Amino acid sequence: MEYFISLAVLVGIYITLSSSFNLIIGFGGLVSIAHPIFFALGAYTTGLLAIHFQTHPMLAVLAGGGVAFLSSMMLSLPSLRISGDYLMITSIGFQLGLLEVIKHLSVTGGASGLGNIPNIVEGSSRSTLFALVSCAVAAVVVLAIRWLLNGPYGRVIAAMRDDELAFAALGRNAMMIKLSLFAIGSGFAGIAGGIYAYYYQYISPDQFEILQSAMLLTMVVVGGMGSQLGPVVGTILLLLLPQAIGFLNLPPSVMAPLQGVIYTSLVLVFLFWRPQGLIAPGQRQSAKEA
Amino acid sequence: MIDISILLQIVWTGFAASTYAILFAVAFSLVVKVVKVWNFAQAGMMALSFYVMYAAHNKFGIALLPSVGIGLVATIAANVFMDRYGLQILRNRNSPSLTFFIFTLVVSEFLAYLLAMIFGTEPVALKPNIMSGVNIVHGIVISNWDIEAVCVTFTLLIALYIFMTRTQDGQFMAAVSDNPELSRLYGINVTRSYVITFAMTGVLITAGMYLFGTRASIIPNTPLQMMLFAVIATLLGGMGKIFNSAVAAVGLSLIQGLSIFVIPSQWQGLILYVFLFITILFFPQGVSLQKFKQLISLPKKQSAAH
Repeated sequence: MEYFISLAVLVGIYITLSSSFNLIIGFGGLVSIAHPIFFALGAYTTGLLAIHFQTHPMLAVLAGGGVAFLSSMMLSLPSLRISGDYLMITSIGFQLGLLEVIKHLSVTGGASGLGNIPNIVEGSSRSTLFALVSCAVAAVVVLAIRWLLNGPYGRVIAAMRDDELAFAALGRNAMMIKLSLFAIGSGFAGIAGGIYAYYYQYISPDQFEILQSAMLLTMVVVGGMGSQLGPVVGTILLLLLPQAIGFLNLPPSVMAPLQGVIYTSLVLVFLFWRPQGLIAPGQRQSAKEA
Repeated sequence: MIDISILLQIVWTGFAASTYAILFAVAFSLVVKVVKVWNFAQAGMMALSFYVMYAAHNKFGIALLPSVGIGLVATIAANVFMDRYGLQILRNRNSPSLTFFIFTLVVSEFLAYLLAMIFGTEPVALKPNIMSGVNIVHGIVISNWDIEAVCVTFTLLIALYIFMTRTQDGQFMAAVSDNPELSRLYGINVTRSYVITFAMTGVLITAGMYLFGTRASIIPNTPLQMMLFAVIATLLGGMGKIFNSAVAAVGLSLIQGLSIFVIPSQWQGLILYVFLFITILFFPQGVSLQKFKQLISLPKKQSAAH
């Protein structure tokens, strides 16, 4: 039972991550894969505040989100003025470069990671409480994104993504929309990082490498990029699927890469046979019906 | 005061170590030029090439040279397969660049996971002993590996240059890179040009992995980390300028080596990322002397105007 509750914590965290990633890549059309670095910045900020300043958990997690929100501008301000391909490359460099810094700073624990993050919930109900919190945060994030996209701001985002030139010709500031989308998505990732740090009480740079980017990309692509519920479905499917092969009792040296093979095969299958993902974006669906 | 012999040694070692990086950068740049795709699947192909050579030589006891041949055939086959049954479908669908990016990245990771499942994640090298004999020339240590690496790399670069400039297929590739639609109208077989590009990339990758694998150990994920170097060299060299990316790879490698005089060795890895940012922000079209001159002359013009 404990195992499934731990899985629920992870599901909540990853729904927050994939939905916020979808906001950037799927709705904003901003080709960045650096999302895990904002997850990392949130986790490290929360962990360091908890260890060194005994900050209240709620404040520490919000600070994690804030740091991710602000630091996203370090990437977006200089690189959003260039085209999609360049942004993608810059985002890879930004992610790996910051991880390189984290790996060599003593305050972050270096390559061996940051441990001794205080346990904020004692007792047998620890995982249950974390599962409730992470799922509640995930629900809030999904609803917030839904509210954002269904309102006037959502129409502005869609107009910018569909034809940026025409959007700019109407006197709209596309750069500001991109910056805010990027910052909001990254801020949510930072909050997920804060919960992650408190739950696992240990974080290390290799948890936020490029493979993490691929995992998030898989969740979004399989679920349906640009669909509000797609990443939720993709996350649940991709986190539960490996449990099915868990019963094969394979050694860990085979199990981990096998999970990776399954993830990547799924993306390839979906890219070619169902590029719209499990849940197609509403706009395209209605266009088809028409 | 820096000892001149130490400086020369660092320059030589940096130059020799840049050889495989040159091959990877040229391979990456060639695909960007002709196929117009940022081919991150190259990392997976690099891993595949290495492990096929490794398996043939170390598991099946085949001599090293035929093993390299087997690796070459496997890499070319995988590259061409990926183009015909992956990229071609996406091209036909007019897929956005994001889809190409996801596809190539995922192919890379798929291969890395598959190889990790088959060969494990312990570092392995092509030869049981990666130490190489050395020669001292005017106080500079030049290993046999250095000489082999420089010879292999320059032979391949010259062969590529001759192919691109002196053969019909090479000229067709240049035409396709310029305008595939117009090339098709003129009767050029665009698909064939793409296949040749990926076949040539396979040669460059295999040679690079042979050189790297006879000098160091790798795990299935190593090529993914090595790819960034090729990407930065391609950007620095300028999009579509294959041989400039080779020069950029040498420059980057030397700067990394020489930076030891300025910054602690543990921070050397960061230099690549700093270069990436500077290149993308200030030289998105690549570094050229003309651009430098423009940048230098701009403040002068401004002060003259004032």
